[in-house]
Amino acid sequence: MKRYQIGTAAAIMLIAAAAMYDTRASALPEDVQLSPGGLGAGFYPFWSAALILVAGAAVAIRALRGPEGAPPFEAREHVYDVLKVVVPTLAATVALGWLGFYLVTAIYVAFFMWFVGRYRLWWGAPVGVALAIGFYLAFEQGFRVALPKSFLYTMGVLPF
Amino acid sequence: MEVLGDLIGGLGVAMRPENFLLLFVGVVLGLVIGILPGLGGTSGVAILLPITVFIAAGNKVGAVELLAGLYWGALFGGVVTSILFNIPGEPWSVALLFDGYPLAKRKGRPGLALTSAFIAALLGSVLAAVLFTFFALPLAEKALEFGPPELLAVYLMAFATLVGLESSSPLKSIMMIGVGLVLASVGFDTLTGAPRLNYGQLWLLSGITFVPVTIGLFGIGEVLAAAEEQGTGQLDRISAKLGLSDFFESLRALRQRIWITLVNALIGFWIGVLPGTGATPASFLSYGIARQYSKNKEEFGKGEISGIMSPQASANAAGVGSLLPMITLGVPGSPTAAVIMAGLFQWGLTPSALLFVEQKDFVWGLIGGIYIGSLLAFVLCVLAAPYLAMIMRIPYAVITPFIIMISIVGSYTLNTSMTDVFITIIFGLIGYWLRKMKYPLAPLVVAIVLGDATEKAMRQSLIASGGSPLIFFFRQDSSTGQYTEFNALASTLMLIAIALFLLPLAQWLLRRRRRRDGSSAPAA
Repeated sequence: MKRYQIGTAAAIMLIAAAAMYDTRASALPEDVQLSPGGLGAGFYPFWSAALILVAGAAVAIRALRGPEGAPPFEAREHVYDVLKVVVPTLAATVALGWLGFYLVTAIYVAFFMWFVGRYRLWWGAPVGVALAIGFYLAFEQGFRVALPKSFLYTMGVLPF
Repeated sequence: MEVLGDLIGGLGVAMRPENFLLLFVGVVLGLVIGILPGLGGTSGVAILLPITVFIAAGNKVGAVELLAGLYWGALFGGVVTSILFNIPGEPWSVALLFDGYPLAKRKGRPGLALTSAFIAALLGSVLAAVLFTFFALPLAEKALEFGPPELLAVYLMAFATLVGLESSSPLKSIMMIGVGLVLASVGFDTLTGAPRLNYGQLWLLSGITFVPVTIGLFGIGEVLAAAEEQGTGQLDRISAKLGLSDFFESLRALRQRIWITLVNALIGFWIGVLPGTGATPASFLSYGIARQYSKNKEEFGKGEISGIMSPQASANAAGVGSLLPMITLGVPGSPTAAVIMAGLFQWGLTPSALLFVEQKDFVWGLIGGIYIGSLLAFVLCVLAAPYLAMIMRIPYAVITPFIIMISIVGSYTLNTSMTDVFITIIFGLIGYWLRKMKYPLAPLVVAIVLGDATEKAMRQSLIASGGSPLIFFFRQDSSTGQYTEFNALASTLMLIAIALFLLPLAQWLLRRRRRRDGSSAPAA
């Protein structure tokens, strides 16, 4: 646990350092003639990031001195349990641009029920299709909100 | 008691069948819009605006009842997904994630969480409506005294009450606040237009807004945490009873928390009246205050009912309050109020104090509509709550993909941008990890929301004073141009904010000293 705590604090501090580097030019109060009110665009983010750096260093030092603690995952299987959700979700997100929201909904829901919940596909598929149709009626027809469409829509084959 | 007569007249106007029907339609649409993530009250009102022009041609009261009804409905409906799925249906229901979802999921009481929020919402709306009825004009004029320095003090108070949020690790809280402030400033500097923190990436120029981040951190993050618990078999049993037992239990809970809820409703109302603020900051401030002054502080974040009631009462009171300066002065108190004001102009009405004289039916019909619309939304919600709570009994493998797709819609529709969808997913992973590493997520979200507004208030003050920080305490002397005239309002607010910041520090020092005394005593 210890090294994960230190690593996390270090990663956040790295982001803070990058932010401080980017805004260093206007970090200090300036002449009122040069920038309105005497504060430039960088003042606020620079000092917010500085706050992270100080607090982060303290967190890291306390973790270093503290007890080892339990590891973040109790067993390797739990990592797989999480990945089983993460990977299909990432795939679905990437596929949105190509398959559009409604096809992705139908496929993703059916796949998820089968893959994670071990439902039979003839249970998952109708649920997925029903959800997709429900979303279509609510957003596209009901509230006229356009969600991403599939390549079949641009080809004129499907209405979504 | 002329006001009472006017009010009764207004209630009569709102109860006319055609107006009541429009109000009812508005409330139902608002509830649906509130529940659907990504569709907010503001956009809902905007979508209906063209239709109202036709209604207003014959019946201006009916037109405003429709829009106002939608607004009340959305104020109530936003509660539902926050509590059931950890996904905010509306920005102002983000504060409900902190305790509403834990009560529903960890403690297995979704019905109680929902009805508590609805009761608080009704309380907030009605209290605000009463204040609206009796003090509309003087309050609106008072609100105009609030300039950037005073607003800055209010925002600082919000931060001060939140520093100790989840006090298990104040250092991590501070880190998360910093991260939120940095994220809020990505994109453009809103005051000078200078780009900042975008590292030459085009997609970062539009900035990182808090809705996709919040949906990711809480909604997706929770889904991943549940995926892991699924393996460990730690999922709790959800109790979802039909009937009104949850309703009576939340009434009892409200009785125990009546004062803090009322005070927060008052605060929410006032923040709503202030121009340009609205229900979202109000709900955060009230959450912080409820936590600060609660007897069971440790229960916050784990499903404490005050953590649901106070922000919700405050959000609804702010929603009503934000209409007040809009009607009386033409200064909208919130984005939704601004869109409703656009409607008023389209129907040929000019918002001003004169409306109270010239368009008596319209103004009092609207005020009557606040009472009736809130009551209507409340009844519908309480009746629906047990059925909504049943949703949580849907098996994990069926509800999870649904939640993920809803999250995607919510973040996409905000700006119709795929970037926001990716931000949601990435922050889902980040949120999951941060939770594992025991970082509190609430301060991060609050800082993103309030960060922009705080920076703006601070720098606008400094621009007004030509760079002199004296503006935070003094007013410009009209003859000399120097900041020498004591500004009692700004100074008081600022001193309260500073005191609130120092309070946790003092408490910490005191505890430390007591502990040291305690540990040295046995040795001596």
